[in-house]
Amino acid sequence: MIRSAWVIGVAAAAFALAACGERPQVIQYKQGAYQGKPDQKPYANAPFDGNQQKWDNDLRQRNQAQNEYKRIGS
Amino acid sequence: MLLTRKSESAPAATPRLKRLSGASAPTIDRRTFLKRSGFVAGAGAFATQLPYGAIQPARAQKAAEGAGATEVHRTVCTHCSVGCAIDAHVQNGVWVRQEPVFDSPINLGAHCAKGASIREHGHGEYRLKSPMKLVDGKWQKLSWDQAINEVGDKLLALRKDAGPDSVFWIGSSKHNNEQSYLFRKFVSYFGSNNMDHQARICHSTTVAGVANTWGYGAMTNSYNDMQNTKCALYIGSNAAEAHPVSMLHMLHAKENGAKMIVADPRFTRTAAKADMHCRIRSGTDIPFLFGVLHHIFKNGWEDKQYIHDRVYGMDKVREEVLAKWTPDKVEEACGVPEAQVAKVAEMMAKNRPSTLVWCMGQTQHTIGNAMVRASCILQLALGNIGVSGGGANIFRGHDNVQGATDVGPNPDSLPGYYGIAAGSWKHFAAVWGVDYDWIKGRFASQAMMEKPGMTVSRWIDGVLEKNELIDQDSNLRGIVFWGHAPNSQSRGKEMVEAMKKLDLLVVVDPYPSATAAMAAMVRKDGVYLLPAATQFETSGSCTASNRSIQWRERVISPLFEAQTDHAIMYAFAKKFGYGAEFVKNYKIVKPDGDRKFEEPEMESVLREINRGVWTIGYTGQSPERLKLHMKHMNTFDVKSLRAKGGPCDGDYFGLPWPCYGTPEIKHPGSPNLYMTSRHMMDGGGCFRANFGVERGGETLLAEDGSHPAGGDLTSGYPEFDHVLMKKLGWWDELTEAEKKAAEGKNWKTDLSGGIQRVSMKHGAHPFGNAKARAIVWNFPDGIPQHREPIYSPRPDLIAKYPTHDDKKAFWRLPTLFKTMQEKNKDISKEYPIVLTSGRLVEYEGGGEETRSNPWLAELQQENFVEINPKDANDRGIRDGEYVWVKTPTGAQLKVKALVTERVGAGTSFIPFHFSGWWQGKDMLEYYPEGAHPVVRGEAVNTATTYGYDAVTMMQETKTTLCQVAKA
Amino acid sequence: MARMKFLCDAERCIECNGCVTACKQEHDIPWGVNRRRVVTINDGVPGERSISVACMHCSDAPCMAVCPVDCFYKTEEGVVLHDKDLCIGCGYCFYACPFGAPQFPQTGAFGVRGKMDKCTFCAGGPEANNSEEEFRKYGRNRLAEGKLPACAEMCSTKALLGGDGDVLADIYRQRVTVRGRGGDVWGWATAYGQPGQAPAQAPAKGGKS
Repeated sequence: MIRSAWVIGVAAAAFALAACGERPQVIQYKQGAYQGKPDQKPYANAPFDGNQQKWDNDLRQRNQAQNEYKRIGS
Repeated sequence: MLLTRKSESAPAATPRLKRLSGASAPTIDRRTFLKRSGFVAGAGAFATQLPYGAIQPARAQKAAEGAGATEVHRTVCTHCSVGCAIDAHVQNGVWVRQEPVFDSPINLGAHCAKGASIREHGHGEYRLKSPMKLVDGKWQKLSWDQAINEVGDKLLALRKDAGPDSVFWIGSSKHNNEQSYLFRKFVSYFGSNNMDHQARICHSTTVAGVANTWGYGAMTNSYNDMQNTKCALYIGSNAAEAHPVSMLHMLHAKENGAKMIVADPRFTRTAAKADMHCRIRSGTDIPFLFGVLHHIFKNGWEDKQYIHDRVYGMDKVREEVLAKWTPDKVEEACGVPEAQVAKVAEMMAKNRPSTLVWCMGQTQHTIGNAMVRASCILQLALGNIGVSGGGANIFRGHDNVQGATDVGPNPDSLPGYYGIAAGSWKHFAAVWGVDYDWIKGRFASQAMMEKPGMTVSRWIDGVLEKNELIDQDSNLRGIVFWGHAPNSQSRGKEMVEAMKKLDLLVVVDPYPSATAAMAAMVRKDGVYLLPAATQFETSGSCTASNRSIQWRERVISPLFEAQTDHAIMYAFAKKFGYGAEFVKNYKIVKPDGDRKFEEPEMESVLREINRGVWTIGYTGQSPERLKLHMKHMNTFDVKSLRAKGGPCDGDYFGLPWPCYGTPEIKHPGSPNLYMTSRHMMDGGGCFRANFGVERGGETLLAEDGSHPAGGDLTSGYPEFDHVLMKKLGWWDELTEAEKKAAEGKNWKTDLSGGIQRVSMKHGAHPFGNAKARAIVWNFPDGIPQHREPIYSPRPDLIAKYPTHDDKKAFWRLPTLFKTMQEKNKDISKEYPIVLTSGRLVEYEGGGEETRSNPWLAELQQENFVEINPKDANDRGIRDGEYVWVKTPTGAQLKVKALVTERVGAGTSFIPFHFSGWWQGKDMLEYYPEGAHPVVRGEAVNTATTYGYDAVTMMQETKTTLCQVAKA
Repeated sequence: MARMKFLCDAERCIECNGCVTACKQEHDIPWGVNRRRVVTINDGVPGERSISVACMHCSDAPCMAVCPVDCFYKTEEGVVLHDKDLCIGCGYCFYACPFGAPQFPQTGAFGVRGKMDKCTFCAGGPEANNSEEEFRKYGRNRLAEGKLPACAEMCSTKALLGGDGDVLADIYRQRVTVRGRGGDVWGWATAYGQPGQAPAQAPAKGGKS
């Protein structure tokens, strides 16, 4: 994440400077590493607020809604 | 089985609005939303102004579902009779999300394509948005007040000039129970029995055939109960497409060892899941079923004790089946070889309880009433009725077709199958709080008041038939389509002739466009379109196929200028001068203030139903009890549907009717009908005593020892009335008030419910304890007889199994059988291919509503005909090409060929959900602007032929003939 | 730690397209884009089987490997997502994907510049969770709401399962145990033989063990 923020920072700086001079002709890609924006963890927001364990447990439990044996028995 | 997936034909007519995420909704008010959803051109710009490439600061926003921002309304899918619950999330009056209701014991959160995309009803992009009338061939807007006045005046003029029977009212199985019930009352007050709804062309033969066999004409068990079956035979049902969520229960049962058999002319998606598929020729269900029964009798697999105790006439059926339906005859007629038929018999007999499922493959025939009885007889012989895991699991079609049949607009009955004799009218006059003589005065005469009306399958003949041949004074001159598609009725080519001839055509519907376009194609004026609300824009109860009743909460207020059906009825009732009588017992509410009409409150209408409909036990399901069930769905067991503990303890989910007695006595509902192993107050029962007590010296009452468990009466008995109560010495158990109300009454007409309460306390069934009838002597064929369809591909078999004689005044109309069959005896030389029709999973009914939902429409973009590779190659037809399907009516349909082994050689299939093409021509220009469905196509019923059931006037759509040629 | 996967039980799938419209509805997906679709083999003849297919969220995703602008990333939960701001819509991932998951919209939402769109496992994308921005570009983020993909949650016969692979394995294993067989397609017969038959014969000698 820090790394990608850094990439964006560099890109922004390059963009800003580009206005003063020549436009860069070639984009430099870092092969194999994600170049996009950072994402948030799915449990970053309310109601989990960073509590990964709660999120994990909630999802595990909710997953059982796809298992009718849980409700019906066999 | 997608025929096409065109990508180039995105629906461009109305700009696709940018639906808003939860986070942004607070800034968008309802009006803006509505504007965007159809009224303002260029709304799509909203989306395109913000291209993805644009770099925008990522605004961290609060979670979409902020506290208090979202209301959740629990509703039920309006597309089929399974009854899948849905939680609708609403923000600022806008339906923004739908979430699965895992708690529902019926669907456990599951949905098919239609249910999973139900939220489109919150957009309604292609709906009719305001009242319209046809002026000089063009659609013109008018206000609601104008519409009520103009249409009202015209209807009143027709009533005055030609009598109240000159108007035919086509109600709807998509109305909720309260609206259906109100519709029956509304048309009664107009002074006519000329009303009907989709049940006529859906399961009318089932209702009549099954009720006459054992009491009630409904699914005996439930989708859920199929979890308890050991073997299921589907005949004339493609549940995987028509009732997809029912397959959740069946496939669970199958996983646990149940066997599954499908008998169908097509190798359907349901057949793909079965252990065995029997390809029968369309229309030969009786030879197949009796072929199975032949092997059961021959091997002595029938349940002899059960037959002795509970069935009348099986011995004669046995004789006939053994003599007549020998394996060679069976194979000759239906095409299924002996070994396969024997295997089916063995599977059904050796894996009991076994169940039998049927749908329109069995009902929509000229002998539909007999076919369904053959199914009943098979189940009776096996002792499978009144047994958990057994039953006749008759899957109904529309979401509330069961309820509309029970309490809605039927031409031959008042709510609750009371019939239309004077006594029935008096019962309802009392319930409605009006004078019997006043109602009588509304009708042309007492005779017309007690004469069944015409049927929706034949309204065109009510218009077109020579006046001297019809059994009422005037021909039909006005038609009101109130929530019913035109393309679901057969003989479409003649329908436009009838439309041409009418004085007035009124369509009340959220999606009136199919009717509108057909009418505008042949008329210049005299057509009115009124935008009705959907079931998500009102509240009310609906009855699923298994007789469970669920309460829908209102999700949103009616979009655009739409009004709820009951508000429209009330507005017209006021116009017609009977507003006060119409709403006598109801609270009047205005849920949307002055923006919409005032309307009767649904709860108070249901309470009136509770007070009046004793015959089928619609009395115990008070709004309060139903709402409690909806709230505590999680407490119900999925297999038994029974609540274990909690506030609904002991109840069955949705209080499946019959739920006898008043709500206060807390009858739990009856999940499986006729189940003698349970006490009456436990949902138990027995067969109904409705056909006398004796016939030809033989008792019709149940034999000793066969009765609802724990009952004080241990043998058969007739239905309860005040005399029987007194004879048994139970009369004094009624309270004084009950005695006063029950004196001179029976279990159906006692408005206090005392007779039902006391008989059930003694464990006795209020409707008596009798035998089921294997022979229904009051029907044309007491023992079901195979008769070839009017348009048969087998002239040789017409001689052996000819159809009925013609009928003169049958539901007020002359009806042809033999004349028609004789005339078309050799027509299979010209039209050699059997044409049958059916459903697709993506669409429902006439399809206008679902084809207006882009999420569904994208999946099936063109109508098609399934044709066997042999037939295709013989005609030089390739897969995906356009072909003409021509039928003996002279109509021709332009559809795409889907060359597939799904149909056998000599059979073709066209789904019936399409409309909007007329014999090769797109009817787009005839639609009101912006109210055309995304996908249009050729309606199969444009080309279907003549043919009606000899009891109920069900139309024959499942077996006719056609020729297919390259286009 | 969850490892998100889909699993479609071919014995249960009835090709009802509920998953397809659940997805379209939940994410407001335009005409012509199908993040999920149902594939049927042997249509109309005995042996007909269907499965629902979307992005499989591969552990070693070919799309990620080939993307020239490296717009793909994989979340801790194993969901393969991409940044549409970076995507150039070249379609190389389309070549690489064995399941036809990448979609290339024409107009309107999701596709103004023809950027690639695909199943997100209802996990949104690289924008603030549940923000309007995220919804507009990627659809709903159900995972961040503590919910699982709409398609699996709404499947009519509970054929399509979606969630932590470990949990799915338990659910599926129970079914297979009850019915005594797997999907009867997708190589089960090759691997284990038809029910009641011997499995495919192992190589006599020197085969892999």
